[in-house]
Amino acid sequence: MAMRAVLRCLSANFSPGLPQLSPAARLTATRPPWRSCSPRTLSTTSALSTALKFTEKHEWVRVEGGIGTVGISSYAQEALGDVVYCGLPEVGQSLEQMEEFGALESVKAASELYSPLTGEVTEINTELAENPGLVNKACYAEGWLIKMTIGKPEELDGLMDQPAYDKFLKSLEE
Amino acid sequence: MLQMSCDAVMSHIRRTLSLLRGCRTFSQSARSTSTFFSSSDGGLVLQSRSTDVYQNLALEDWIEANVDLQQRSILLLWRNRPAVVIGRHQNPWSECNLPTMRRAGIPLARRRSGGGTVFHDLGNLNLTFFTSKKAYDRQRNLKVVTDALRRIRPELDVHATDRLDIVLNGRFKISGSASRLSRKSSYHHCTLLHSADRSALATMLRPSCPGIHSNATPSVPSLVANLLDHAPTLQWEELLDAVVQQYNAEFSFSAVSALVDPADEAAFPGLSSAAAELRGWDWTFGKTPKFSVQTALQLPGAGSAVSSAQLVMDIKSGVIERCQLDVPDDWLPRRLSGELSGVLVGERFCGHRAAAAFTALLRCESGELQDRLKTLCDAVVTAMG
Repeated sequence: MAMRAVLRCLSANFSPGLPQLSPAARLTATRPPWRSCSPRTLSTTSALSTALKFTEKHEWVRVEGGIGTVGISSYAQEALGDVVYCGLPEVGQSLEQMEEFGALESVKAASELYSPLTGEVTEINTELAENPGLVNKACYAEGWLIKMTIGKPEELDGLMDQPAYDKFLKSLEE
Repeated sequence: MLQMSCDAVMSHIRRTLSLLRGCRTFSQSARSTSTFFSSSDGGLVLQSRSTDVYQNLALEDWIEANVDLQQRSILLLWRNRPAVVIGRHQNPWSECNLPTMRRAGIPLARRRSGGGTVFHDLGNLNLTFFTSKKAYDRQRNLKVVTDALRRIRPELDVHATDRLDIVLNGRFKISGSASRLSRKSSYHHCTLLHSADRSALATMLRPSCPGIHSNATPSVPSLVANLLDHAPTLQWEELLDAVVQQYNAEFSFSAVSALVDPADEAAFPGLSSAAAELRGWDWTFGKTPKFSVQTALQLPGAGSAVSSAQLVMDIKSGVIERCQLDVPDDWLPRRLSGELSGVLVGERFCGHRAAAAFTALLRCESGELQDRLKTLCDAVVTAMG
């Protein structure tokens, strides 16, 4: 079983990139974490969510005009805790799907970020240098991490849409 | 702690490590023949025989990358010869005194976990708790340490804070924590001050140079103490045994401590090259978040006159991207201060590199101008720590 687990990792598919909520946290969270946004944020999320695609590592990507904006999901930012530093790549850097492209340091730990797609970084969110907490406060909006070109559009088909991601999160809770 | 002959220990370790890597044939034979496996369901305690900070950090990464931690957890105990260890996103120039460290032969290491800067020596015990992400629980890990201490020295007032420090007598920090979450699993490691050299700690953990502006993660300085100063009979071995026992008690394991040698390439393939990467300049200094240095340089002139120059440098990935030197042009022609700045751009932010780059410049001048240029060069090199 151990060998299979190792092989699974090597053979490209995703595994959860961030910790589960600890049992104590689960007891106090009366609502699922992705509903912890304020009603206003929730409606914004719903409007955008049809365009959002998610990875099993809790990153999201939204494609507009051939450019993908990448961030981490509400589940991820909640599990991460307060982000204190964002280590992001350089503009122009090429990324392979699932390649480590940076790290977020939070009060909980340093966590690597994995690219949801293959492409080239076109922009990084410079607001995060002064205000890393945006990742927690507005993970789907002002807390975006990078923008990138879409080198292999077919990769998007392999990502989860909102309903599939919600289902995925439910399965993790079990 | 179980005593075993050297050969038995080595074969026991090899079986264990093959087991960990999921080699099926080995594990089947181990299951039937090894008393070790039957007595350690779910937990493993390893003790590194290396005191090299880079090897031990590489050992942590090796375990994290190669061992299936979904079904089992590991406690790794290790200590290093004197070294300064900074967190993943820290700035070494602002966290520690690099010139003093160089003179004392104390190396700098950047770890992969977050958090602040610590001074390691043989009187500091490092504990790394490896688990699956589901089982990640730092408070519980620290409870292992505090419960162990309370059991063997009930008179000690120790508790873990919200910041995940362990504090003695309500005021002295004896332990700090940091952690890393990766693709498959997690580790949480912490220090524990048994008998470290506190004056060396204070000397090394000071900035190298003034005027650093950066948004790198800062350390939170704390008053520290050694356990030995407050529990003078607490031997190192007794502390280790207590921690191992408490780890087993807390998580209902029955693990026996096994010695491992990270320098053993057969047991840990790839570890040496990982250690080499951690030793390299690109990782240690090159991973420093962008920062700038803004400082005033004092320039002695004729008689007792002192002029002052403004130095501003932008450093990215440890390399000087931009350098501006504002020197009064009655002290030195702008042409020369401009050339000096120019020579630094593209160089590593390093006093030695700067000094070497300046020698060519200095050769071109002579007399009073050369003296003044040399003074300016020396001041810049000093400002770089």
